[in-house]
Amino acid sequence: MFSLTRDPIVPPVLAAAGAGGFVAFDGKVRHDHAGRTVVALDYEAFDELVLAEGRALLAEATAQFGLLEARCVHRVGRLAVGDTAVWIGVAAPHRREAFEACEWILDQLKRRVPIWKKEHFADGDSGWIGSDVTPGEAPVTEENFYSRQIRLNEVGAAGQAKLEAARVLVVGAGGLGCAAIPYLAAAGVGTLGLCDFDRVEATNLHRQVLFAARDVGKPKAALAARFAQRLNPFIAVRAHGARLTAESAPGLFQHYDLVLDCTDNFATKFLLNDTAVAMNKPLVQASLYQFEGQLHLYDPAKAGGCLRCVWPEIPPEGCVGSCAEAGVLGVVPGVFGALQAGEAIKFLLGLGEPLSDAVLLFDLRTLATTRIKRAANPHCPVCGDGAPPTEIDLDPFAPGRDFSRWTVVDLREDHEPRPLVELGSTPWRHQPLSRAAEWLAALDREQPHLFVCGRGLRSGNFARRLRREGWPHAYSLAGGVDLALKARPRSA
Amino acid sequence: MPDLLQLKVQYFAVFREQRGLGEESLASAATTPAALYAELQARHRFTLAPEMVRAAVNGAFAPLDRPLASGDTVVFIPPVAGG
Ligand SMILES: [Zn+2]
Repeated sequence: MFSLTRDPIVPPVLAAAGAGGFVAFDGKVRHDHAGRTVVALDYEAFDELVLAEGRALLAEATAQFGLLEARCVHRVGRLAVGDTAVWIGVAAPHRREAFEACEWILDQLKRRVPIWKKEHFADGDSGWIGSDVTPGEAPVTEENFYSRQIRLNEVGAAGQAKLEAARVLVVGAGGLGCAAIPYLAAAGVGTLGLCDFDRVEATNLHRQVLFAARDVGKPKAALAARFAQRLNPFIAVRAHGARLTAESAPGLFQHYDLVLDCTDNFATKFLLNDTAVAMNKPLVQASLYQFEGQLHLYDPAKAGGCLRCVWPEIPPEGCVGSCAEAGVLGVVPGVFGALQAGEAIKFLLGLGEPLSDAVLLFDLRTLATTRIKRAANPHCPVCGDGAPPTEIDLDPFAPGRDFSRWTVVDLREDHEPRPLVELGSTPWRHQPLSRAAEWLAALDREQPHLFVCGRGLRSGNFARRLRREGWPHAYSLAGGVDLALKARPRSA
Repeated sequence: MPDLLQLKVQYFAVFREQRGLGEESLASAATTPAALYAELQARHRFTLAPEMVRAAVNGAFAPLDRPLASGDTVVFIPPVAGG
């Protein structure tokens, strides 16, 4: 709730149930401004505009920080020193979000909401000033912000307009994201989405340079979004704090033109690849190991193929070391994240030679770069022309259809919960994937099998592997049992 | 005994770590990248399963059964996920 008042502010009472923290800010008229004694202040606002922008800003804060309640009251008219000019109060499940959100709202209010103030000084002088501009400081405009970039012949005003119109999603605000995000924001990418479900940990700080020691425990997406928005107030920054899944990724991708893969695990990298291929979005990907890394641009308009053209299956997590296991020099993600931002900007501007048909390998120790040509693999399970469909949804099990010859094979492990889906009389066998070598030979490869797991990733990989090994009727349940259960009843 | 091929081999990421160097010239009886990997895996105890390995020959990704010739440069690339 956002309101304006001509009367002295009476702080509202926040009553949100379930709140673990209430934070309030009471902003008063200061006794001096830039060394001069202030006696009074006039605030003036264009009410409709201020109310609309103020409400929008509280709604954004509520979504971004998960607030239970957010209120702001701004006073207008003549105020004396010591009067409350603005009051902000928020309620959140935990204190961190409450503190963060309260400060964010104040910053955004000063930047975005058009309220002017006229200061009356003790010496009789007075003057209107923008609320957040210190006298003597040149105001920041889009013109001067981008002037050194627009000066490049290859960019110019037309190129800047292309960047402003572009919508880029960065998945992962870790080491790579922390380097890519500032350059994309500063370049003026008009809509910048930042997706990360993680919180800052102490072990991140040597490479994730958008975060400070005091940020440990705070959500990365919100912190990175705040950094980017402070850096460049002329762009729209959106924080997406939920974990990306096969079900949610398409809904997020549809709002963006290009995606940066700044993640650090195979499962997410393959999910981003598959979604990008399915939705025809270019994907700029980097992956690191200790002192070196790989950079890819997968452009659906070019013949360079995708991640699965090279690695059709998701490698087992841990088959090569992650940053946690193998270690990584902090500057390495810095270099690669900046290169990712560079490839994205080049792509959006149509500048230079994009890396769409090769992988770039770079080793910081020797400064050696190696380019290896990639080509689309016609047998690629996601972008190949003849890729046999291995994924099916539950429609074939609609009542009245004959699936008596099918067998459902549940690949989930013994230690996993295994809720089942009602599939009529179709036999359902539990055969853990980890013991496939023991039971696979007992299955008849000429019969149709529907492999299932929790989310459809393991079963998808397994069905594709069997197809390559000559099983013509191996299928995977798309989205896994978890998705099916949303639409189907649980069996007894 | 067939003539040995003179090859240049480059290692990346975990291969470089386990081999202890980034590049070497060697003579091998292997006629494909797959056979070369098997030979090197046995010699240097590479931990990565052969089906996870990708090879490039002379600057382009190549199938693991592509015939090799003397003078070829072979690059072994493991999957990498760090970020
Ligand atoms: Zn592909």
